[in-house]
Amino acid sequence: MGNVDELIDKLARDGAAIKPAPHPYMLSLKWMGWAAAYLIVSLMFSGFRPDLASKLHDPWFIAEIGALAGIFVATSLSASLLSFPDIHQMRRIAFAPVVTFALFVLVMLFAWRADNPPAPLPVHSFQCTLGITMLSLLPAAWMFYVMRKFASTHYHLAGCCALLFAFSIGAIWLRLYEVNNSIMHVIEWHYLPMIAFGIIGLWLGKVMLKW
Amino acid sequence: MRLSLDGDKRAYAEILQETSRFLRPFLAKRLSFTNEVDDLLQEILISIHKARHTYDGNRPYRPWVYAIARFRLQDYLRAHYADQLHHASDLSEMEEYLHENVTETDISYEYISREVEKLPEKQAMILRLMHQEGYTAKEVAEKIGMNESAVKVAAHRAYKVLRQKLER
Repeated sequence: MGNVDELIDKLARDGAAIKPAPHPYMLSLKWMGWAAAYLIVSLMFSGFRPDLASKLHDPWFIAEIGALAGIFVATSLSASLLSFPDIHQMRRIAFAPVVTFALFVLVMLFAWRADNPPAPLPVHSFQCTLGITMLSLLPAAWMFYVMRKFASTHYHLAGCCALLFAFSIGAIWLRLYEVNNSIMHVIEWHYLPMIAFGIIGLWLGKVMLKW
Repeated sequence: MRLSLDGDKRAYAEILQETSRFLRPFLAKRLSFTNEVDDLLQEILISIHKARHTYDGNRPYRPWVYAIARFRLQDYLRAHYADQLHHASDLSEMEEYLHENVTETDISYEYISREVEKLPEKQAMILRLMHQEGYTAKEVAEKIGMNESAVKVAAHRAYKVLRQKLER
């Protein structure tokens, strides 16, 4: 008991004024703003796919990009909430990525069924995964760097959301850059690796965000 | 807590005191020893200090504190049980030290009965009466005209002889 009192005295002496962390909504908006800027700059360097104007009339392509954008927003929001010990007392919103992922799977299922006769598979394969990974590395590192300043008590999920957010940027970039209409290829080399990186994020969260 | 975030050290000490008051029973319910409660309480207070920038004073304080307390408690229990498992012996490691199969034995009821018959007549009779017929030492003494302590001494000597034979 005496030790606890001594500790409290010591902590109180160290308790200088401190700037509270921003609200998770503001944090999430900031992350999305930076990520959108990074995506635009990347697209300016790589260029848009030449058939983008015609693809914008394809409802399943629009739905796919929309669902990806949903994952981008939901994972950013969730990662920001999960950075707080009490999830900022908004537990339900933190699980928004589950809904957006379910929506995304549905969209991909319908897009796959609509891809009849199937579009030819492109000649390349793992290069897409590599491209998405390379583009996502910087936002991923930045996310973990920022999130380490907080105090997550759900570091596995926080790490997963951070990587999914970073890889959703890469996935959107590649869909807007690469001329490719094969849904099978996109599922196999774009989105399944993205989910795999989300799983890696569970482990990375423990390594990077434990405090 | 809002005052303490602004640098009011007295308010900060008060909120930490209050926090330790309501956390102590929470921890005591989940841990066995008082020293464990004290150690963990100190760890939680340090964590609260480190993470105080994640509390803005606009939402309830207790859920924020309990989130940190639960997190540290889980960490502590995980480490505690991992340590216990580390020191626990694997059953396969113990097998080499077990000389005999304890669930199966060569010693049967018939074997023991034969050995009892080989004992001096009086000792054999006492064991038969006590263990087959179910008489007490006092009843056996009355039946064969001995005093009770003599029956007990005879039975004890018989057990000793039997034990030596069975251990061979």
